[in-house]
Amino acid sequence: MLALGRRLKIRTLVHVAGEPIPFFWPMRTFIHHNPLYGLEHLPFEQAVAMGERLFRARGYLSRALQQRHLAAGKLDRTALERQVADFLASQPDIAGLDLQRLLMTLLTEIETPVGAPPALADAVDIHAALNGFALPSREIGGAALAVQVGADMLPGRPLHAIVDMLFGTEIGATLDELVIKSCLDFFDEGQSVWQMPGREKGLFAAWSAVARRNLRLFIRGLHIKRILAVDDTPEGIISHVMDELGVPEDDWMNHFTCELTRLHGWAGFIRWRAGAKHYHWARHYPADLVDYLAIRLVLGLALLREHAERKGTPAKLAELAHFVESNPAEAYLRREFHGGHVLPEMAHAVEDAIAARRPARIARLLPQYLARKREHEARHHAAALRRLATCAGMADAPQHLVPADVASLTDMLARFEREEGGIWLEALEAHYLGRLLHGLDLTWPTPREKRPFAQVMFCIDVRSERIRRHLEKVGDYQTFGIAGFFGVPVSFIGLEKGSETHLCPVVASPKNVVLELAIARSAADEAFVSTLEQVFHELKASVLSPFITVEAIGLLFGLDMFGKSLAPLAYARWRQRLHPDKPDSRLLLDKLSREQAESIIRSLQRALIVKAVGRELGIQREAITDEMIRELRETALGNHAGATGFARAFRLDPEAETRFIECLQKVYRINRGYAQIQLERLGRIGFTLDEQVHFVGQALRSIGLVDGFSRFVLLAGHGSTSENNPYESALDCGACGGNHGITNARVLAQIANKPAVRARLREQGIAIPDDSWFVPAFHNTTTDELRVYDLDLLPPSHLVYTERLNNGLQAASRLCAAERMVTLEEAVAASGEHADPASAYRLARRNAMDWSQVRPEWGLARNAAFVIGRRHVTGQLDLEGRVFLHSYDYRCDPRGRLLENILAGPLVVGQWINMEHYFSAVDNAHYGSGSKAYHNIAGRFGVMTGNLSDLRTGLPAQTVLKDGAPYHEPLRLLTVIEAPIAHARAAIEGVVKIRNLVHNGWLRMAVVDPETHVAHVFEDGAWRQRPLHAAGGAVEEKELAL
Amino acid sequence: MTLLLIVALFLPLFPLSVVLNGAMGLLREPVLRCLLLLAWPQLGVMLLQLAAQAVPPYVVPWALATAGFYALRLLTVRDMGQWAGFLATSALALTWALAAGGADRAELHAFAFWFSLPPALVALLARPLARRFGAAYAGLQGGLIAGLPRLSGMLALTVLAAVATPPFPGFFALLNLLQMLDWTGALAVLAIWLVWGWAATRLLQGFLFGAERAVAFVDIGRASALVYAGVLGGFAIAGLMLTGWRL
Repeated sequence: MLALGRRLKIRTLVHVAGEPIPFFWPMRTFIHHNPLYGLEHLPFEQAVAMGERLFRARGYLSRALQQRHLAAGKLDRTALERQVADFLASQPDIAGLDLQRLLMTLLTEIETPVGAPPALADAVDIHAALNGFALPSREIGGAALAVQVGADMLPGRPLHAIVDMLFGTEIGATLDELVIKSCLDFFDEGQSVWQMPGREKGLFAAWSAVARRNLRLFIRGLHIKRILAVDDTPEGIISHVMDELGVPEDDWMNHFTCELTRLHGWAGFIRWRAGAKHYHWARHYPADLVDYLAIRLVLGLALLREHAERKGTPAKLAELAHFVESNPAEAYLRREFHGGHVLPEMAHAVEDAIAARRPARIARLLPQYLARKREHEARHHAAALRRLATCAGMADAPQHLVPADVASLTDMLARFEREEGGIWLEALEAHYLGRLLHGLDLTWPTPREKRPFAQVMFCIDVRSERIRRHLEKVGDYQTFGIAGFFGVPVSFIGLEKGSETHLCPVVASPKNVVLELAIARSAADEAFVSTLEQVFHELKASVLSPFITVEAIGLLFGLDMFGKSLAPLAYARWRQRLHPDKPDSRLLLDKLSREQAESIIRSLQRALIVKAVGRELGIQREAITDEMIRELRETALGNHAGATGFARAFRLDPEAETRFIECLQKVYRINRGYAQIQLERLGRIGFTLDEQVHFVGQALRSIGLVDGFSRFVLLAGHGSTSENNPYESALDCGACGGNHGITNARVLAQIANKPAVRARLREQGIAIPDDSWFVPAFHNTTTDELRVYDLDLLPPSHLVYTERLNNGLQAASRLCAAERMVTLEEAVAASGEHADPASAYRLARRNAMDWSQVRPEWGLARNAAFVIGRRHVTGQLDLEGRVFLHSYDYRCDPRGRLLENILAGPLVVGQWINMEHYFSAVDNAHYGSGSKAYHNIAGRFGVMTGNLSDLRTGLPAQTVLKDGAPYHEPLRLLTVIEAPIAHARAAIEGVVKIRNLVHNGWLRMAVVDPETHVAHVFEDGAWRQRPLHAAGGAVEEKELAL
Repeated sequence: MTLLLIVALFLPLFPLSVVLNGAMGLLREPVLRCLLLLAWPQLGVMLLQLAAQAVPPYVVPWALATAGFYALRLLTVRDMGQWAGFLATSALALTWALAAGGADRAELHAFAFWFSLPPALVALLARPLARRFGAAYAGLQGGLIAGLPRLSGMLALTVLAAVATPPFPGFFALLNLLQMLDWTGALAVLAIWLVWGWAATRLLQGFLFGAERAVAFVDIGRASALVYAGVLGGFAIAGLMLTGWRL
């Protein structure tokens, strides 16, 4: 057994090694997040480069795609030229070449990158190729070849990956497959009918118990048992395997990171789960990265040993090093062939030579191969240079270069192509920034003569922008943007739900519980349909029942299939009629007094005793009295000793009575300890009056709504509805933790309508008139429907206006659908710029019901900016549903605290959403989750591609791509704050997270000063000012001396 | 007997089959490979007709062993030209079983044609691949389906035709052969057919699927694709006509 200190050290190493891996939340509550969150401490460019290494993923769009953006006018060419000039400022001049023109040509006219300098051919060779000379003869020694092989044997790279590269084995793929199967077994959340045994002992313990008896692994020649016999703990096993592999301890952390990032979806899920203390499955079946890594290493070592026995491949690092040193030629050719670098025309010869493993044959082939490869590289590179020079109008220039200049040019081009992604990105951003700043209106509106008909608070979500615009257009509506949880973090227990759902951004943890209670519910509401559905579901999930019931009930499933496929809208309407309506409910929002809480617990305990008496002893309620129940309760709680009246009445002997009391205490949990726990839980329910006043006041002040309240103040939470869509919650409200926002809207509305709260707010200077009523509403972003809730609470004086309210909301919904359907449906787009609102609205609702629809809505795709300021600033702009809009009036926030809150909460969530979209669009195969068409649900918490893959993280192709090209324009979130520069800068510097994001280039930040009408943009590490409304890129800039 | 041995060069039986495959290895030009594959077995059938001798019974297991051996070899070969050669060798060896079953001259010529045309087309498809990538070598240039859909489609269809999937004539010819064999022979042929399918999957996986290529290549022209599709379509119709179906 390993010493405690050593075990702790290994645990620490594993946890630090796992830090670059982003969390993966269960998809029931999809959380948008930055896939490089663990690298946010680094500047953006460095993090992207690190991401490329760790996750084998691209961090920028390809040049070809950016050239399409340039052709479509989405890119600022001037910015591109400026970036190229900045790059060249630190590069040596090359005589005879106009480097600025050359690089601009490379960027804008050449689709294929020139590439890194060749591995074998040097500048002299390229020079010869450029001039059409024969290449000078040169011998390449074994040491040089070993260096080339060594370049792929970086410290920390797992041994199995190097063996795969040199011997064409597929140990890595097999290992991944075995690890995924183990994870699927352990982490299953009810999808499998047969569960893995012993899960409560933890991942490693449960897996090792099964693996020791796994006949399939044994038959494959994997002697897991021998490895597991060394130690019982995962830390001990990790140490043993690393020693067996011969990995120096200094490299362990790199090695661990490489192993963990190989299946970063699973590792991210385990990492999140280990820290999610409230997560039911984690509490019952614990697991962490140490367990996971131990399993990976055991299987990896077993596979390496099996291959070593069968194929003679190295099973230790030292053996591998020895092989490369003693057989550099063979190692080189192996790397060429299995690493995908081989010259195609010689692939067959190389494969035959390395398969024969005869040194003489390899020695014969090698010089021939090296000569041809060197020639191929030199000519290929020379051709690329010549093509570039010709396009740039300098066709003859490369031939006149001396070899030293060729070397400089080759190196410089390679450096430039490494930095090219960032250059394109900044040019794309510069274009959008210029357009957005140009359209902002910083004037002050003339005061209104009368209050608006209604004020509507929407989530800051980009999808709200469209419907706000249309609502403002169709009537006298004033709209505001606020984070969709309305500033009230809630832990919600819904009707008939036993667990809490956190309705707030994941960066916050709610302290208060809100309970939903049905107003009335009768036994008749127990729907027959629901019971039937339950039976159907169990029949489907069972192993044997599908075989024996398919003839009997298969037709019913067929009906379901035809209905959903052929007439989704009508069929969904018919099915909804079968279900009983959800009962009206109220939210328990006020704190309970101690007496109330104790009374609730007493009542609960009494109900349980009645149930226990019936179930355990078969005695009906009518046979016992309240006094007997009270006495049994007191006895179970230890407040009463001796025989009970109940025992006497039913002639229970003392032993049977004691047994029953113990049953009450242990099974039904009627005991003091549990009563105390229940009391504490009840203490979390509701908000104190102070909290209620604080939440309402803060929400109103943060959006600048402190006077001029309308008759209706709508709080519109949002969510989505779609069928057969594991990503449904990705379309829900991010500020509500990936849930619908209606509950938070109901909570705030219910609080804001309380006279006691309004009285206290009036003392704080926020006078809400008595005829103002806060009404919760729900914005369905898939259908564009705006539905008003809790109308039964509306004062009678308001009822006459509801028709007008509903009309206005519906008109806005239809107009919004008409605008949106053009982007979703090719047929609508082809029919003209705008679709008929009524049919577009119907089409949107159909999309929500259609189970074959892979793209029910675009969600947050194309998000580009986050504006914090008055609605007046953006009110005249069509922002195309691309901008998060947070209402803010700096005049209501003299100390900047509200702005800091906006930056620390909503903006951080916005940045996560933005980065998730950015990386999913840039490399959907690695940072995104690929096509939905191939997805399968894994364990009820994630999706895999096909039947076995890493958990797919990020967004599916259908969310960010259209016809294979990015629909989402990958830009870093451009944040614009409307406030005096000093005020805004103080807030930015005051929120460390935001300051770091801005300084490291993860967020673009601009401040527009309504007092000076000057924009301040943070660029290249400093604030630069530029006048607003300057045309395009021809803006005068000067660095601020701040 | 001597003539039969000569025939075994053309309707290849191991070890005489090395001659055909050696020639396939030496000929790097796909068109020549294609012509060789088309002409070689027809010569064999003609010579077989000249031999005034029935096929000895021991030749059938020999032919099946040859077919099985080359089917297994297919699993390890990645060069498309050689793959076509090995598949043709494996399939054409079965002509002996058909001849032993009493098939007439026309049937033998047709059988040889059904099993030499698709491998010949496979060999021919190596040309556009080699022109674009330097060689037609499975596993080196994966992910073609994303960038070269026409070439990928033609490759997939031709390989499917080559491994006797319905409705191509090879499938029906194979069914005919099964009827002529005893149950052990039929089982052997079914196993060989299964291995062809496996090898075809591996070959297609090596070309069509995998990571998308960073460098874009131009697909084959629409006209070439139509010609290829026409040939394969005609071939499929011929297969259907073998079942008695008439246009």
